[in-house]
Amino acid sequence: MQREVGTLPLAPALRARLAAAGFQTAQELLDTGPCGLSKEIGISREEALEALQVVRQECHGDAARTAGESGATRKCTALELLEEEQTQGFIITFCSALDNILGGGVQLTKITEICGAPGVGKTQLCMQLAVDVQIPECFGGVAGEAVFIDTEGSFMVDRVVDIAAACVQHCHLIAEAQQEEDHRKALETFSLENILSHIYYFRCRDYIELLAQVYLLPEFLSEHSKVRLVVIDGIAFPFRHDFEDLSLRTRLLNGLAQQLIIIANDHKSAVVLTNQMTTRIGQSQSTLVPALGESWGHAATVRLIFHWDNSQRLATLYKSPSQKESTIAYHITSHGFRDVQPPAVTHSAEGTEMNPRKRPRTEEEKQ
Amino acid sequence: MAAKKLRRAQLSQEMCERLSRYQITTCQDFLCLSLLELMKVTGQSYYEVQKLLCKVSRACAPKMQTAYEMKLRKSVNPSSAFLSTTLHSLDRVLHGGVPCGSLTEITSPPGCGKTQFCIMVSVLATLPVSMGGLDGAVIYIDTESAFSAERLIEIAANRFPAYFDSDEKLFCMTRSIHLYRELTCCSVLKRIMSLEEEIISKKVKLIIIDSVASVVRKEFDTKLQGNLAERSNFLTRGASVLKYLAEEFSIPVILTNQITTSLSSVPAIQADLVSPADDLSLSE
Repeated sequence: MQREVGTLPLAPALRARLAAAGFQTAQELLDTGPCGLSKEIGISREEALEALQVVRQECHGDAARTAGESGATRKCTALELLEEEQTQGFIITFCSALDNILGGGVQLTKITEICGAPGVGKTQLCMQLAVDVQIPECFGGVAGEAVFIDTEGSFMVDRVVDIAAACVQHCHLIAEAQQEEDHRKALETFSLENILSHIYYFRCRDYIELLAQVYLLPEFLSEHSKVRLVVIDGIAFPFRHDFEDLSLRTRLLNGLAQQLIIIANDHKSAVVLTNQMTTRIGQSQSTLVPALGESWGHAATVRLIFHWDNSQRLATLYKSPSQKESTIAYHITSHGFRDVQPPAVTHSAEGTEMNPRKRPRTEEEKQ
Repeated sequence: MAAKKLRRAQLSQEMCERLSRYQITTCQDFLCLSLLELMKVTGQSYYEVQKLLCKVSRACAPKMQTAYEMKLRKSVNPSSAFLSTTLHSLDRVLHGGVPCGSLTEITSPPGCGKTQFCIMVSVLATLPVSMGGLDGAVIYIDTESAFSAERLIEIAANRFPAYFDSDEKLFCMTRSIHLYRELTCCSVLKRIMSLEEEIISKKVKLIIIDSVASVVRKEFDTKLQGNLAERSNFLTRGASVLKYLAEEFSIPVILTNQITTSLSSVPAIQADLVSPADDLSLSE
């Protein structure tokens, strides 16, 4: 109640008049009442009433926060957070090595950034996640929907159909092996059409459309409350050209990052961004670093860098608050994002290299 | 979309006038400001400004479609999704041919046949749909002056002798291939920007740019200061306009590129072979 007038979210002209009239705290405004206020500072009674309603809403919000009530508050103890984190689901990627280094999969309420050179598999992983977020809970998924914001035009529906078909088949196999009732029921709704209908696709052609879409995203997510994943494929592409003013770009990117963090937290969804690589020219050599500059590096909570080693694709966990830095290999198959197949364990004599203590099988014992 | 005037974003007349006094006339100017700046400029309270922001965003934001709707739209007209190259093994690997609605890049060392391929595909695009073509005109942007009209006629007459049996048919085909010779990056970009109207008026069904690399390498030397940024600026601008044209009109766009030597210690990127039998996930 002792809040200063200058900090209230009123129109600037109104604030200037209140300051000129000598009002200092919110309590003074509430005590004066709308008629008195309108006479003193020379505005209409309706405007005064509106202003007082804003002040009252602000002060009630303040009071609720100071009294420690929950609701829109963002305060809790670490124990509550621990309980929340332990029951929270992860979005699996179908590559168990990648899930392991991420600590279970892509985490909800966090921003994950995937950087890599062109063609290394960033969009493939995004499409895989858009399908995997919809896996029913009885199969270990989060049973959510996905929003896919595409700035590069690399979203291929036919590829998503392939990935979704493989995922559905995988779940069918599990259900057949385990024969449980809720598995069968979940599979009725987990069909190809349902999966495709729950991927909400937006094609943003430049950075203004991207900004506009992110401003409208909270409203969209409130209407579609089952969304658990927001993918922005190509956050770098619209910001890498037509920008003479780099400070404007940094400001817009920071604003974007803040809004995405709020969206991730409020709607309990994972935000996945893909970034491009750019060449940083040093004194003696040039290195590939993630694009959009150093300050953008602070936006994402978890950073994955995809790169090549000869013909093997590797993923490195570059930045994470809870997992250690490590590199794994992955594969992109016709079914989607997968592990690299481990070397096959054969029953012939070569297999004994794995375990030198075992007696080598002779040719007669082989079938 | 960005240059959309605020008047058309359904803001009130007086608000538009007030904003124009601060030189804010388009949606782009409006959305680039922070909330506090907007409050100062519009003179409204915090909550009002958020509502205005949502209004302006709605005017700019793209329309939502589900992946299912996209798939249905594609399956309605499957034949128009690809331009067959008539090379059967290539078509098989590409799952049908050169895809419509996206950019395809062809690169090779000099002399391998990029320009020949482009000339052949131009002929194919002018053929009627019953013969596997797109029945439309072709825009050919030539930066190396390598296009030969005589070679075009030779290919057409020898490849499809039954169809091009008269001179009349040949001339009809050549009339629908529009050739533009551009020799600088700037003119290439200007030409790409002007293509939208040409596509509609001339009923164009294929865009070929041969080649992007030659103009870029002539004008930008990456060892010089600042050239790298300008070059990527030019390339991404061109790419985004071409992507827009390809998607908007559902036509294929073919670009050719050249080979360069990568001198870094990092080994060159090689293609990854798709493994045919992935039983790992099924055996879990």
